[in-house]
Amino acid sequence: MIKRLLAGAAAIGAIGGLGFLYYAWYPPIEPVEPPAPGSFSAEQIERGRIVAAEGYCAECHTRTDMGGGPELAGDYKMDTPFGAIYSSNITPDVQTGIGNWSEEAFQRAMHLGVSRKGVHLIPAFPFDHFTKMTNQDVSDLYAYLMTRPAVHMTRRANELPFPLSLRILQAGWKLLYFSPGVYKPDPRHDALWNRGAYLSEGNAHCGACHTPRDFMGAEKKSAPYDGAVVDNWIAPPLNEHNPTPTTWTEDELFQYLRFGVAPLHGPAGGPMSPVPHRFLSTVPEEDVHAIAHYFADVGHAAEREKHDKAALARAMEQSKTDLIGPSVDPDAKLYQGACAACHYNAAPSPVLGRPDLALNNALWLSEPTNLYQVMLHGLTAEEGQTGVAMPSFYNALSDQDMARIAAYLRRTRTTLPPWTDLEKKAAAVRKTVTTIPVNSSH
Amino acid sequence: MGKLERIAAQQDRAAGRGPSRRSFLLTAAGSAFLFGFARQGKAAQVYPQSAPAALQEASAFEPTIWCSIAPDGWVNVNIIRAEMGQHIGTALARIIADEMEADWNKVRITYVDTDPKWGLMVTGGSWSVWMTWDQFRQAGAAARTVMVEQGAKLLGVAPSACIARNGQVIAGSRSISYGDIVSRAHPTKTFTPEEMAKLPLKPSSEQRLIGKDVKALDIPAKTDGTAIYGIDAKLDGMVYARPKLPPTRYGSKVVSVDDSEAKKVKGYIRYIVLEDPSDTVPGWVAVLASSYPAAIRATDALKVVWTPGKTANVTEQDILDYGRKQIANKAGGSRVFNDPGVDETFAKAAKVVEQTYTCSSVLHYQLEPMNALARQHEGKWEIHCGNQWQTLFLPVIAKALQVPETDVVMRSYLLGGGFGRRLNGDYAVPAALISKALGGKPVKLVFTRSDDVLFDSIRSPSVQTVRAALGPDGNITAWQHHASAGWPTRVMASAFMEKGADGKPYDQFAIAGADHWYDVGPMLVRALDNDLASETFRPGWLRSVSSGWTPWAHESFLDEIAHARKLDPVDYRLSLLDSKGRNAGSAPNSVGGASRQANVLKRLVEKCGYGKVSLPADTAIGIATTFGQERNMPTWTAGAVQVHVDRKTGVVTCQKIWLVLDAGTIIDPDGAAAQTEGGALWGLSMALFEGTEIVDGNVRDRNLNTYTPLRISDVPDMDVEFLPSTEKPMGLGEPGVTTIAPAVGNAIFNAVGVRLRHLPVRPADVLKALKEKGNA
Amino acid sequence: MVKFKLNGRDVSVDVPDDTPLLWALRDDLDLTGTKFGCGVGQCGACTVLVGGRATRSCITPLSSLEGADVTTIEGLDPNGKHAVQEAWKDIQVPQCGYCQSGQIMQAVSLLKDYPDPTDEEIDGVMGGSLCRCMTYVRIRKAIKKAAAALRKEEASNG
Repeated sequence: MIKRLLAGAAAIGAIGGLGFLYYAWYPPIEPVEPPAPGSFSAEQIERGRIVAAEGYCAECHTRTDMGGGPELAGDYKMDTPFGAIYSSNITPDVQTGIGNWSEEAFQRAMHLGVSRKGVHLIPAFPFDHFTKMTNQDVSDLYAYLMTRPAVHMTRRANELPFPLSLRILQAGWKLLYFSPGVYKPDPRHDALWNRGAYLSEGNAHCGACHTPRDFMGAEKKSAPYDGAVVDNWIAPPLNEHNPTPTTWTEDELFQYLRFGVAPLHGPAGGPMSPVPHRFLSTVPEEDVHAIAHYFADVGHAAEREKHDKAALARAMEQSKTDLIGPSVDPDAKLYQGACAACHYNAAPSPVLGRPDLALNNALWLSEPTNLYQVMLHGLTAEEGQTGVAMPSFYNALSDQDMARIAAYLRRTRTTLPPWTDLEKKAAAVRKTVTTIPVNSSH
Repeated sequence: MGKLERIAAQQDRAAGRGPSRRSFLLTAAGSAFLFGFARQGKAAQVYPQSAPAALQEASAFEPTIWCSIAPDGWVNVNIIRAEMGQHIGTALARIIADEMEADWNKVRITYVDTDPKWGLMVTGGSWSVWMTWDQFRQAGAAARTVMVEQGAKLLGVAPSACIARNGQVIAGSRSISYGDIVSRAHPTKTFTPEEMAKLPLKPSSEQRLIGKDVKALDIPAKTDGTAIYGIDAKLDGMVYARPKLPPTRYGSKVVSVDDSEAKKVKGYIRYIVLEDPSDTVPGWVAVLASSYPAAIRATDALKVVWTPGKTANVTEQDILDYGRKQIANKAGGSRVFNDPGVDETFAKAAKVVEQTYTCSSVLHYQLEPMNALARQHEGKWEIHCGNQWQTLFLPVIAKALQVPETDVVMRSYLLGGGFGRRLNGDYAVPAALISKALGGKPVKLVFTRSDDVLFDSIRSPSVQTVRAALGPDGNITAWQHHASAGWPTRVMASAFMEKGADGKPYDQFAIAGADHWYDVGPMLVRALDNDLASETFRPGWLRSVSSGWTPWAHESFLDEIAHARKLDPVDYRLSLLDSKGRNAGSAPNSVGGASRQANVLKRLVEKCGYGKVSLPADTAIGIATTFGQERNMPTWTAGAVQVHVDRKTGVVTCQKIWLVLDAGTIIDPDGAAAQTEGGALWGLSMALFEGTEIVDGNVRDRNLNTYTPLRISDVPDMDVEFLPSTEKPMGLGEPGVTTIAPAVGNAIFNAVGVRLRHLPVRPADVLKALKEKGNA
Repeated sequence: MVKFKLNGRDVSVDVPDDTPLLWALRDDLDLTGTKFGCGVGQCGACTVLVGGRATRSCITPLSSLEGADVTTIEGLDPNGKHAVQEAWKDIQVPQCGYCQSGQIMQAVSLLKDYPDPTDEEIDGVMGGSLCRCMTYVRIRKAIKKAAAALRKEEASNG
């Protein structure tokens, strides 16, 4: 998830002057004795747990390479074009974590992106979203984090080269892009919508992945939720530009966010997978409903829904292409052998667990990236639909085979123009796979 | 003596065995034959699995080596044929059980390991029933005779007062079971082969199992995962191996091996450069590992440099061109039919017509990849695998290991598909060599699919030219059929090649089918071994062997002639199937001769409505007829195919297949239908769906990503009928294949008026032909 | 070490996590009913059920099965008498039998999704399961027979 980096985050050299320095300067906040766990109520800790889950803290603050690390102890590696950076330890360890942070320091970090010592945080930490969180939510989160087991673990040093490593430059970025302030409810909408907007825009920081960024690495305010590339996956548009043939209705969104699979769209894969499985399946259902409600509106579901019936019927018809009766199209045969046993569907609608590719996001995006990613990795039983696994075709399909399937599906299951350079792109996505998922034959 | 008997006798002589060894061994109870080997690795499969373990067999009555009756009444039938889907054990056990009047519910079959006493062990050519029929009926009669004699004694009546039925000897209201007879009388009666041959056999009206629906004994185990195939064999302490294949089938030499990357694979043990005195696997390197996935990865990581053999650049086109040149040269090859007067008739013909037909290489792609487990155990080299021609490959393995053949034994397992691939046991050689290099330690060699395909002994590409001399009335007055292809039998079993009319040896499995039963005047049938094919790859026998492709030539050609003369192709064929001269047929195999082929054709036309039904545009029925696979074992076959041709895309869709066969007595109607359906779909697959080609000395396709055999959605409606007959049973494993491709070609012509002469028929070829026709 | 449920029992296998389920089943857990065919997920011989859905075990790494519920042909029914197996025997579907474990597992999965399958649905779902003996006509017949039996079972179970 959210592992995207603000590539241009430090290209700030031109900005100078005393005013800037004044703006940029924050005082350190005195260290405190770690608060006793007993000083927080069980209710508050539980509320904090939910806040932590809705912000996916553990996702970016837990090491996954080198065999993994203790939860929340940081050292999660994020690759940037300039070098890797590593997330911080947010367990209450005094030396290496946030054990000696007062709540005031924590509130300031969440709301203003400044560490206890007054250092500007790199906006890979999405304080531009967290600033919208209420003090109460941040306070609850503080209670939760300070009652986690303290882990003594130092993260690896960031590999950003000078001058990008100068944190003062982050202040310039903030000057340009950052508008602090807690979320203000929109009186034109009801409470459910506002709850959804509060969570999505704030703590859940959905835009961090789904909104494209400009050359400075800031989310484009002009194109909210227009989709973006994250960790070699495409985070699809969540607005009216979402290309899937059937609408992301509130119910589809809810199923997806809560259980990891939307019957008419498919499973959550790749960086999105933990969002439902690790986090949103553990929070109050109303909150997930609220987020779904909000994005149904962002995506103009109400207007688009009327086309769904026809779109579904067409997809069910397309799903059968070349699978019913004889076919000698070699690409169709490849699809039949490798994919169709699981992905064929019949009217009236797809069976849960048979993601229909004619409906699937991956086929309708501008690039085959996600389709390739899923082919190469498959899905584990913990991803997508729980308990169901898709195999890894890493060794089973060559770049050429993947390109043939992609071209065939795009041609027969969508109404969109063909993708280009498919074999080259297959090789490029393959290159991003660092650990070959399966030691299979050929 | 039939062809197979001849082959068997040759083999016996070659192995220093007298013919008597193959006669029935009539021994007393307690023969050690059944217990001579341990059941290591679950070899020598017994079905049904619900049958009791072999506890009582020590005191069983074993009238012949083929069957025994235990005191508990269970009858064991020994099956020396390979089980690869034809349920051959059930079919053969039925022959014995029927004649013996055994209780079918107490019959079990044992797929035995190799032993010289079994004589020729081969399963192919659809021969099994045909070559076992007489033998097993006599063996059954022997057992029944003894049961009746001994039972009568125990019942205190004359044998003539008794009948045998359902595992019992019955005299009026009294009866005694076979089991009780064995346990009380301990029969030890023996017969000489001459006596055996004189035993009275039941008339077909008295048959109670033959021709009736009976459940195959091996099927339950094939539905619950308990059936054991070669690839399932396992021995304590075994290691896994995967081959690293050289760039050419022959002549590659290892220059250097670098295993520095392979060493990084956890579980990698070592590599071995194989030294093979049998020259079966020249230039091979094997990779050993503690698990198969490790062997897969380590083999990929191993770097081997070879000097390739001379065929490294050969293409399919080169091989076909070579074949064309052979055919153009009047000398060379072997003349299977070399009737006097061919040249003269051609010289004075009013007209000579000629066409050339080609077929692509075809992969076996049997679903169980090649594998074998080998070790040295108690002084013997044991090979655990499934194999169709054990007798052929034991000597090869012995040669590879440099040991006497008597030191090698093959433990038998089920075959995950044969289709002729496992007639060639070459895949067992590297396993044996690896084990030898490890001092006899057990090693299981498994080919990945791409290894398996690369090492396949494919159906050779073929070129055939058929030529007819026509008289002034347009009738055919003489006939020539020239066929060039790689010869599997020369490569693998040259001693078994037949001699042509000109005295030269030829591979009957690379020409059979061309020696047809039509009366077309004097015939020249010439078989040519495509040397370039045989040098490039090891040609294989593939389901229905040459009869899978020779009819593509002559059955297409006959239609072409008929259409040119504006005759109905069926009527025209019927006029040529006149049962005259050598086509009159003879006992026991071809009683009735060509008239029986005419009968199946007539019945087929009735069924499919050929020429009568009106079909939509670009849709038509095509017809072809064959005599199955071999002239000496004719299964009279007629096939019709209805196709639709899409003029825009060139796609040919097969909508329905009709088949009518006369295979003599049908032992197992359900199994016969299954074999024929499977054969017909193979025929269709090779006509429209599958085929590969040689590129740079190897087959182009390696797996299903590009190789596209027929799948379930491609299956048309099928209607298969067997004409009733009490003649000697012929084979059924392969005839289903033979008519389909030419029927498809003939149907395409009937649908859109273009003639395709290359298999498989690809849409691009159809489009091209349509375009040419449009331009013409 | 990955832990999962196999035929109703908890198992974990001491092999690398990237090991395909197929080889763990066959070589480490002695369940050889699941077969190796093409190795690239395109023939269906290795099909098992993961979470009740047909899955090609030859390219499914153990690492993706944490907590999953795996059923092989051996575990389909304690007596080998699942309705699909019974239909397979009645119709005498298997020839060489090598693909049939996979065919049966795929058919079981098919019948869960389509309890009364049409020929189209059978084609659509079974098209990935190659039978080189070409027993397809009987596979279709047996699936329909099993479907009828299962529906009857369902009805009598209320």
